[in-house]
Amino acid sequence: MSIEAHVTTFILVMFPIYILAFILYAIRALKGPTIPDTVLAIDAMTYDLAAFLVVLAIFFRSPVLTPVAIVLALWVYALDIYVAKYLEAKEMGG
Amino acid sequence: MTPETLTLGVLAVLGLLSMIATYLAVIERDMLKAILFSAIQSTSYAFIYYLLMAPDIVLVYVPVAIGLYPAIILFLIKKTERFESEE
Amino acid sequence: MDFNWLIVLVGEVLVAVGVLCDVIAAIGLLRFPNFYVRLHAATVGTIGGAFVPLIGASLIAIGCEFLGGYRWFMAGSALITAILILILAPAGSHALARAAYRSRAAIVQPKIVDHLEEDRVEDRGE
Repeated sequence: MSIEAHVTTFILVMFPIYILAFILYAIRALKGPTIPDTVLAIDAMTYDLAAFLVVLAIFFRSPVLTPVAIVLALWVYALDIYVAKYLEAKEMGG
Repeated sequence: MTPETLTLGVLAVLGLLSMIATYLAVIERDMLKAILFSAIQSTSYAFIYYLLMAPDIVLVYVPVAIGLYPAIILFLIKKTERFESEE
Repeated sequence: MDFNWLIVLVGEVLVAVGVLCDVIAAIGLLRFPNFYVRLHAATVGTIGGAFVPLIGASLIAIGCEFLGGYRWFMAGSALITAILILILAPAGSHALARAAYRSRAAIVQPKIVDHLEEDRVEDRGE
């Protein structure tokens, strides 16, 4: 068995498990009782999505797809900081 | 199971997820929650564009739809009211 | 040749560990009772589920010669993403937890003791 066939089979096995994890994260993000729960679920889902995108770039054999993960990780951090700043500014009264 | 079948199945799941998130964002009374549902929809659309092999569109779509759009709406909500009034 | 096999196998083990952490974190995030306990599950999901498989994907990309010369670009990009997530995810979680505590957006339902609240009341009283 060559390296190429081995890696392809491995990623094909990992594919449905990742999708299952994303569906569970999305259920928590959709029904989260409070605001921080939803933001936390979106955060965890998107960081894992960034990891999955790099694995998929190996699977599709196209290295151009890789830099998307950097952009995704950085902008979701920005969303996190926006919401935290909004929640905290309401307490300070500003 | 071929990779094409798997990719099409994932596209179907993501489309369903984005549809549910959009519906919840439309009927939600709390504006902050509506923004977060819209962020879920943007994330699933980014993944759809990625699976359709368009990384240049993802590179533009992610900063606009996950970064700038919630920031602008959050500034607007900070100036006005958070909860939508009952008629 | 053997070196490529070694690196690919190590990378696959790391990706498998990451997927396992991912599913465990998703189940924990769904089942835990309140926000501060869910924070623990989310940390498992970000460090164990995103940092570790990114290092593994970087190693796999180094070992796969069928990707051509651009595999070094892929490996470096994955490594940079891993380091960014290692820095950004705890900072974001911390900011979110601090904001949730100070604005009382998340209520602790089975609450036994809250030393931080007692300290803040004492500071205000003195």
